[in-house]
Amino acid sequence: MNVLVMGCGRIGSEVASRLWQEGNMVTVLDLELENFFRLPTGLRDTEGATLVGDGTLQDVLKIAGVDQADVFVAVDVRDSRNALAAQKAKYIFHVPRVVCRIGDPIRQQMYSELGLTAVSPTQLTSNLIMEAIQP
Amino acid sequence: MYLVVIGGGTIGYELTRALLNAGHEVLLIEKDSKKAMDEAERFGAVVLRGDGSEPSVLEEAGVARADVFIATTASDEDNLAACQLVRHRFNVGRTIAITNNPENDDLFRLLGVDMCVSSTKIILEEIEKDLPARPQLKMFSVRGNRELVFVEVPPGAGCVGSPVGDIELPENTTFITVVSRDGQLKALDGELRLEVHDEVIALTQSDNAEALIEVLTGAE
Repeated sequence: MNVLVMGCGRIGSEVASRLWQEGNMVTVLDLELENFFRLPTGLRDTEGATLVGDGTLQDVLKIAGVDQADVFVAVDVRDSRNALAAQKAKYIFHVPRVVCRIGDPIRQQMYSELGLTAVSPTQLTSNLIMEAIQP
Repeated sequence: MYLVVIGGGTIGYELTRALLNAGHEVLLIEKDSKKAMDEAERFGAVVLRGDGSEPSVLEEAGVARADVFIATTASDEDNLAACQLVRHRFNVGRTIAITNNPENDDLFRLLGVDMCVSSTKIILEEIEKDLPARPQLKMFSVRGNRELVFVEVPPGAGCVGSPVGDIELPENTTFITVVSRDGQLKALDGELRLEVHDEVIALTQSDNAEALIEVLTGAE
């Protein structure tokens, strides 16, 4: 698979390294160069695997190879950036599979109903904590 | 009408003022507390401090009974997220968004934003209106505050047909040569008559360039 990941925070770098270790072609986009130091050296040193730029801009997505991507993962820290980038990937570039991180549970539910695959860390973490504290 | 405006920048501020003056019920939502305080001082109790792309803030604003929602923040992604929320979670009938980047207009419309206003696009259109395309005209600056001007004589120009010597040129203007439509150089003497599509190459003072162009392209 060819995967484009927007956001190289804790989640983005984790998802990108796992996909890369499984042998996928991975490109990671982030606004800050220093965030790439979360990636494993092998991936960081791969030519074209990292790109500094704003993934909500179409030109940047094109340079990052969105036209060839099978999967687009939007895991920036801000919900609205993820929603904008993911909807561009889906409706403008027609990437077959698009997943985005939407922290706010209300927005997460709305975007799911609108046809985006939206994952809410808030919801998932809260669920796990509830499970852990309930006997 | 009840209108909710998010983003208290210049656009949101002026919009709120105009809407209030027109007698509408308005609520302005601004994220920055300093700005929100200044605006509350100016407008009274119609300012809410908060992130207008957050569901809880929109709930507090009573956006569900708004007739129109207008997103004017400097961030296109927040404007889109807010418009999508008020449309799909609060069933607001009409959403309007400012797009700071014109490339977002099509996507916003596709995703159900009723109206996009791109300030960049409006400014560009205004500039183009002021500077009409003049493909038949070229100018080069030359030392001494002069311009070398290439003008193609358009159909209907007043200068067509009369001897060059009789054309009233602006001061300090010299014809260098005239090239006919088929690329032949025309002999420059007072008796030469300009024809439509002749290209005139002339040297003039920068201040006179517009006047020269008017002489060569203006109707009689």
